[in-house]
Amino acid sequence: MQLWSRLKSLVRNLLHKPAVESELDDELQNYAAQLTDEKVAQGISPEEARRTTLAELGGLEQVKQAVRDRRTGITLELLWQDVRYALRQLNRNRAFTLTAVLTLALGIGATTAIFSAVYALLLRPLPYPAADRLMALTPARSGFDGDALISPDFIAAQSGIKSFSDIAGYNNWVENLVGTGGPLRVNCTNITANFLPIFGVVPQLGRLFSQDEDRPGGPPVVILSDRLWRNYFHADPAVIGKSVDLNGTQQTIIGVLPRRFYFPDLALEPDLYVPADLSLDTVLSVEKPVKIIHAFARLRPDISVEQAQAELQTFYTARARKSPREIAPYYASTHVIIEPLQQHIAGDSRKPLLILLACVAAVLFIACANVANLQLARAVSRRHETALRGALGASRLRLIRQFLVESFVLSSLAAGLGLVLALVITALVRSTGTLNMSPSSSRIAQLLQLPFGKLSASIYVDGGVLVFTIGLTFLTTLLFGLVPAISGSRADLRSALQSAAMRLTQGREQRALRHSLLVVEVALAIVLLACAGLLVRSFVKVMQYDSGFDPSDTLTATTLLIGPHYEHPGEHGMPDPSPDHIRTFIQDVLPRLQSLPGVSAAAIANALPLGPVDSTAITFGAPMPTPPDGTWKQISVISVTPDYFHTVGTTVIEGRAFSSGDTATSLRVAIVNRAFARRYFSGSALGKQFNQRVSRGQFAAVTIVGVAQDIRHNGLEQEVRPEFYVPEAQDPSYEVLVAVRSTADPILLASAMRKAVLAVDPQQPVFDIQTMDQRVASEVAQRRLIMLLIACFAGLAVILSAVGVYGVFAYSVSQRTQEMGIRLALGASRRRLLGLIVAQAARLIAVGGILGLGGAFLLSRLLTSMLVGVKPHDAVSFSFAWILMTAVALLASTIPASHAARINLVSVLRAE
Amino acid sequence: MSSSQTNLLQGTLDLLILKALNTGELHGLGVSRRIDQMTRGTFQVKPGSLFPALHRLQEAGWLTSFWGESENNRRARFYRLTKAGERQLGHETEEWQKIATAMTHALKAT
Repeated sequence: MQLWSRLKSLVRNLLHKPAVESELDDELQNYAAQLTDEKVAQGISPEEARRTTLAELGGLEQVKQAVRDRRTGITLELLWQDVRYALRQLNRNRAFTLTAVLTLALGIGATTAIFSAVYALLLRPLPYPAADRLMALTPARSGFDGDALISPDFIAAQSGIKSFSDIAGYNNWVENLVGTGGPLRVNCTNITANFLPIFGVVPQLGRLFSQDEDRPGGPPVVILSDRLWRNYFHADPAVIGKSVDLNGTQQTIIGVLPRRFYFPDLALEPDLYVPADLSLDTVLSVEKPVKIIHAFARLRPDISVEQAQAELQTFYTARARKSPREIAPYYASTHVIIEPLQQHIAGDSRKPLLILLACVAAVLFIACANVANLQLARAVSRRHETALRGALGASRLRLIRQFLVESFVLSSLAAGLGLVLALVITALVRSTGTLNMSPSSSRIAQLLQLPFGKLSASIYVDGGVLVFTIGLTFLTTLLFGLVPAISGSRADLRSALQSAAMRLTQGREQRALRHSLLVVEVALAIVLLACAGLLVRSFVKVMQYDSGFDPSDTLTATTLLIGPHYEHPGEHGMPDPSPDHIRTFIQDVLPRLQSLPGVSAAAIANALPLGPVDSTAITFGAPMPTPPDGTWKQISVISVTPDYFHTVGTTVIEGRAFSSGDTATSLRVAIVNRAFARRYFSGSALGKQFNQRVSRGQFAAVTIVGVAQDIRHNGLEQEVRPEFYVPEAQDPSYEVLVAVRSTADPILLASAMRKAVLAVDPQQPVFDIQTMDQRVASEVAQRRLIMLLIACFAGLAVILSAVGVYGVFAYSVSQRTQEMGIRLALGASRRRLLGLIVAQAARLIAVGGILGLGGAFLLSRLLTSMLVGVKPHDAVSFSFAWILMTAVALLASTIPASHAARINLVSVLRAE
Repeated sequence: MSSSQTNLLQGTLDLLILKALNTGELHGLGVSRRIDQMTRGTFQVKPGSLFPALHRLQEAGWLTSFWGESENNRRARFYRLTKAGERQLGHETEEWQKIATAMTHALKAT
């Protein structure tokens, strides 16, 4: 009741002020009149009566003020007064306002933009129910890539591990879809029946898979993604029950997923889903092929991650014990970790993002320090007014509050501008972040085509980010406003109202404050510069690494030979490739490629440099089937056509490249890379033999006819592994990656290349056409982006610090004109004056430099994981940072110094 | 004002005003006179304290006001207790009794 009444009064007091005031006036006038009447009735004259009444009252205005002071809403009113006053003041000093707002807007905008990325990737809760209980099960295997479990383990885990209420899995294959819209390459994601329910997905049409449909030999059902449904099926509402051709088999559509379903894998955007149809067999044997499956699990509410991890460990130990001898090494080298899903998705991006956030926070701090300095200077020039207001009765708190309100208004204006800046930046990121959605190799899990993968599309300024910005506004207000408010409100009445001669002694502590802020600015700028320097050097090193191939003038493309023409159904439900058909395709395509314009070499392989690579088992000695464990090794193998090395720009160091003489019926040959030759043959591998697995349990002897330069297949920053190459004729692969070395324009070449391949088989669309240079660039995209951003921040920090130095010393000189004049009069040379100022500046900059170098020394350690070929305490980067900042800052200080030197003696002395 | 009046707490003034208006509606001067009368001259409330208190109590919803005519035909603002005000008067009176009893006992003890 009280609250409601107060609210009503609040509204009335604020909105109907004139009415309220006039009523109050009425009431008090009448009160006074009543008292006066009484006195008159006692015989006093009316004027005397009135005078004494008013005297007794203590003054009408004072009573009114007493009422006003206790009115509901008085605080708001005063606050509003302060805001209007602040706006007037800011409007009067346009130069200051503009500078401050722009400086802060840059800082706030950049910080908000980076924070939106951090929020989108690391903080925003995943859009699934109880998402914090969702985990990813990732095997960490020494010497292997891949983050999937094998299906027997997966099935055993589903029932065997009690910590999880559900374990679901998926894997992705690229398949050929043929429907009313023509053939289309699609990402066909195999999922277990419990996969979609684990993420709380409700289909917008139809239904999800039932448990019964997810078994080997289960019905051919398929669920569409919203994207596919809209683009290929034109959002047909009657699509349920229709059938489509997927890789030669008719499948029935039973459901369509909602638009906003976000598949929990950064690099994969499924087009449609089929049941995984995993065999329920949990027994392992060397003969049986296994499917691999990426696993997610839901942790039970009362179980901790550690408990689950322990149980998983026990589970795997038991599995290892029960496994056949040959498979034991797999378990020995496998260690499955449980990772919260959010962390798993963010992956490698976590650390770089946090470092970026720290850097941009440093820039913001420098911006605030600059504005704080400006505020301090302004407070000094306003001390007359402040003293006056104190004399009129404003309390210290009131003055401080008024200064803070002014700072807050500044922050808000800057935040508004900064938000616009952040919106623009995030929109840019989203628009350039269109992930190449067309499906390429199914092993693209590791290959991000863009920094931060498809999550770039979800970086936007939303509620969480806005809250952050508002909080940031308050924080910056305090940062740059509090200290000037406190020191500026300490108005010593007497000295302030006296003449300006007293000015010299004023602001002693203020000077210390300003100078320490400056020192911190310089130090921060140096730290940022040092970090930027380290990252730039790393980037250069990475680009310079001998990648083993020449990416210039090379155009690449991919096509996958799948479908009934190139495969026949094999055992265990997995298709076997038809080698002859593949060979024919390659034989037909190569001459066409070679006759493309400007082509000097063309080749086909099942892996290209910087791409993921297949592996197989090899042994040494006499070939025998199912060799004992410990004797075979898993080695990367690549099938290539004869011109491969020439096309890709890799040298064959010893021996020869493949030729047309290496056919399906001739001697099995291989070319090994130098790492292989060194590891297994101590360098002289030519003519030696080893055994390669050619089918399950079967090994064949292979003769080494050449040694090639090492190519960094697994990324520019990874170690080179032993690899070997085999001729496509002897080991054809359904993955056909085309590389063409040509000086022609890539765009024209691309369409010509596409036509050439389609001419051989119109059912096999070519996709993922890029130049090799583009692939290299994508590979380092994240590294380059981080480096550029930090370099930008460092540059910004240097500029802001330089401006800060200039500002502080310009002010200092303007305050000391008298002192300068006196020195001049006493015989100092102008150069001496200049030296005086610069020496002062140099002292401060030196202290800042030492602090900065120390800080850089301590903090650069955090960058270690991002550095390649450069130590965190790299002398070159540090020296460069220190020299640059010192030089710029000194330069900035010479400008006001030269003003000091040019002081007109007479006018200064006359001014007092 | 005598020294005892300068120590008059805000809460006590509120209670006195509520009590003064318990018997009927009064204008500002009337409230002041009433309090003077009720406390036998111990508390003489000045307008600088009275009017802020009256307005505050009205904003809290314990009083309402209306314009009327005073004894000497002047337009004056009259105040009246609301239902909530009556309840509040009861509460505060109870509170005050408790405090007063406690203080009496405390001061009597040796």
